Amino acid sequence: MTILKVEQVSRTFPARHGNAPTKALEPTDLVIGNNDFVTILGPSGCGKSTLLRIVAGLDRPTSGRVTLDGREVTGPGADRGMVFQSYTLFPWLTVRENIAFGLRERGVSEAERNKIADAFIRQVGLSGFENHWPKQLSGGMQQRTAIARALANDPKILLLDEPFGALDNQTRALMQEMLLGIWERDQKTVLFVTHDIEEAIFLGSRVIVMSARPGRIKAEITVDLPHPRSYKIKTTPEFVQLKERLVEEIRTEALKVTEHA
Amino acid sequence: MRPLDPVTSKQRVAYGLAFFVVFVALWSWATFGGYVSKTFLANPLTMVQEGYDLLAKQGFIYDIGMTIWRVVGGFALAAIIAVPLGVLMGAYKPVEAFLEPFVSFARYLPASAFIPLLILWAGIGELQKLLVIFIGSVFQVILMIAVTVGATRRDLVEAAYTLGAKDRGIIRRVLLPSSAPEIAEILRLVLGWAWTYVIVAELIGSSSGIGHMITDSQALLNTGQIIFGIIVIGLIGLLSDFMFKAFNAWLFPWRLA
Ligand SMILES: Nc1ncnc2c1ncn2[C@@H]1O[C@H](COP(=O)(O)OP(=O)(O)OP(=O)(O)O)[C@@H](O)[C@H]1O
Ligand SMILES: [Mg+2]
Repeated sequence: MTILKVEQVSRTFPARHGNAPTKALEPTDLVIGNNDFVTILGPSGCGKSTLLRIVAGLDRPTSGRVTLDGREVTGPGADRGMVFQSYTLFPWLTVRENIAFGLRERGVSEAERNKIADAFIRQVGLSGFENHWPKQLSGGMQQRTAIARALANDPKILLLDEPFGALDNQTRALMQEMLLGIWERDQKTVLFVTHDIEEAIFLGSRVIVMSARPGRIKAEITVDLPHPRSYKIKTTPEFVQLKERLVEEIRTEALKVTEHA
Repeated sequence: MRPLDPVTSKQRVAYGLAFFVVFVALWSWATFGGYVSKTFLANPLTMVQEGYDLLAKQGFIYDIGMTIWRVVGGFALAAIIAVPLGVLMGAYKPVEAFLEPFVSFARYLPASAFIPLLILWAGIGELQKLLVIFIGSVFQVILMIAVTVGATRRDLVEAAYTLGAKDRGIIRRVLLPSSAPEIAEILRLVLGWAWTYVIVAELIGSSSGIGHMITDSQALLNTGQIIFGIIVIGLIGLLSDFMFKAFNAWLFPWRLA
């Protein structure tokens, strides 16, 4: 059983060079249960990455705390796998070695590492690219490797920060199906950040809408669409209805940002 | 020609050779044409003759060997000390804060100015030569490596942390491999500088080496030998640079992929 609790977590970046301090995140509460797939949706700059980094332990909250199964998060660890917004494969390692990075750190034997890595390589559809270097991969392949790398570590919760943000629409749709397929099969607890409304609905069991800066949870919508979901679901009336609702929510927030600017 | 347009490897060789052809042509024109006095500059033919004489009759090979051993020895000594220190400085900010002011200061101390002092301390033997090269290289290497390691992509370090890496793992499996090509590049660069220090060290109080031969030739006004000595230094430098580059490319295939 995995329970992630975010309790009254806020983050203010201190003033620099005479600028006022940046309030990136208002005190936020969030509970994610076992095998939940929660998507966080919000306009650019609303503190989505900040929240995810705090959960990952890469950043410290100004107030509040994060607990995973009752244990307070004080730093990064293998129990919270992360896929970053930017490409973060280790350029000096091959696809297989990248995926096995965490296993090797834990002292898993090479034969065992390769077995696990190869299984994930198949899952994300990268067979034949085991010995390629990241430079030789397309953006989509790099993010698939990054997802496999995080999964191979078997974390309690998977954190994804707009992993498909830089991909074209076709590739992105395929990647969404791949990720959802893995989740439907293996059941994982997932926290997925995006600014793409369709993506948030298609993947999530719950969509959390965040307000413009300073970030705050503005609404929470349960997505009751049945699993397994195929891409065809995106054109069903239920899906479209949810989308319309979220478009409204997001639009008001995006407008706030432009008015402030 | 267009900006950043690549050339083929054949063209690259041809252009590189063309430079030397032009260079020798100008040199011949100036010396054979009588525009420059023999006393100041030997012509290319004399230079080749003198060079042959040096190699065949005066045991110049031994001098070359001595010089190479000094460079390699002093440089290896510097690298053994500088690489770990530089990595530590780059990885741990307190170590950097502790050492950086001193190293930055020491970096500007000219190695050649230490020669009289080193002769006093270590005599005119091999140790003194090695120390000149050591002093000339070690601080440069430390500082450059510290900067490189300190500039490791933060997102890669963070990714490694989220994959469960601890501090040791971060250094061994992220900081080191990500800076390794740069470190090799720094060593290649500084090895080039080490060549200047060794010649200077050999100009003063030495009984062997390329620099020593050059001082001897100067006493005899033998510009042919001096130029030959300088060209030999250049050729060895070129060769070692080439080997270093090939070695780096072989060591870090992921960069070129
Ligand atoms: N290290 C930092 N120092 C100062 N301010 C920061 C820092 N990191 C983020 N911020 C600020 O915090 C706010 C939220 O940033 P964050 O990266 O969390 O946004 P985001 O929702 O992930 O945006 P995007 O969708 O564009 O990735 C921004 O206004 C940003 O300027
Ligand atoms: Mg972000």
